[in-house]
Amino acid sequence: MSFFDKLRSLFGDASKDNGSSAAPMISCEEALSIVHDFLDGELEGVSHDQVKAHFDACRRCYPHLRLEEHYRQAIRRAGSEQQAPDGLKVKLMKLLAEADA
Amino acid sequence: MTEPEKPIGSTSSFEEEAVPHLDAVYRFALRLSGAPDQAEDLVQETFLRAYKSWGQYTRGTAAKSWLFTICRNVFLRGRERRQRHDDIVTENVGRDGPGTNPVNPVWVSALGVDPEGDFFESIVDERIIAAIDHLPEEYRTAVVLSDLEGLPYADIAELMEVPVGTVKSRLFRGRRQLQKILYDYAVEMGYIAARSGTDE
Repeated sequence: MSFFDKLRSLFGDASKDNGSSAAPMISCEEALSIVHDFLDGELEGVSHDQVKAHFDACRRCYPHLRLEEHYRQAIRRAGSEQQAPDGLKVKLMKLLAEADA
Repeated sequence: MTEPEKPIGSTSSFEEEAVPHLDAVYRFALRLSGAPDQAEDLVQETFLRAYKSWGQYTRGTAAKSWLFTICRNVFLRGRERRQRHDDIVTENVGRDGPGTNPVNPVWVSALGVDPEGDFFESIVDERIIAAIDHLPEEYRTAVVLSDLEGLPYADIAELMEVPVGTVKSRLFRGRRQLQKILYDYAVEMGYIAARSGTDE
């Protein structure tokens, strides 16, 4: 029994629970393999809603999504705080003026 | 006179379209060079080159991506001149990239302790920046452009002169390396407890 089969037997497989929805639910393996594309807005061949539906329904995969979201929030928080030093813009504009001279 | 001709009013249009990206270009330069003084030099050289080539820039297109491209080229050429060697990245997507094991090892490590990655919130900004700087240049550039600056894969591919698949591979590996560094740090600092026998 594979790792994913064990998980499905423990938690149930969201891909089997597509009910009456128009688009077929994707599998756990598919969802996890495209989690970055999903968060980056770069999905191909599958809709945002399809992937979101899987993460919303699957207790196994949802923490993976949250982990990636928390990672991105931390990276953006850390990076966005950094700004160019005050004097750099002044130096830059002087340099550009000299280039025009 | 070797400089390309700039259109009338180019100074003001450059100030309107390029200069507002100064902070973003500085952040990128800082991540590339790893030192504030080098980053300032890199930024000045980037904007000077951009200004001299402003006549070739198509108004209204992605000025930020264009500036990042110049910045990285200036950095790489400078690095070649100094004959420094960075880590060589093997682009073997099939071995450790997208399409192999989709289960994040950090998730496995944090399972039962902090599987949703709340520990990322506990890590101070300086430590996160230091971890980014620790990545090999090819991964660092991809991660910075995507996760910090929000550029689309296609823009990053054009900027790095590689196919989109390679960008995805570099992002995949870079993010996992970065998450592992931050997870290990969180364990070391006691933000989360280590799980015995599951760490990779």
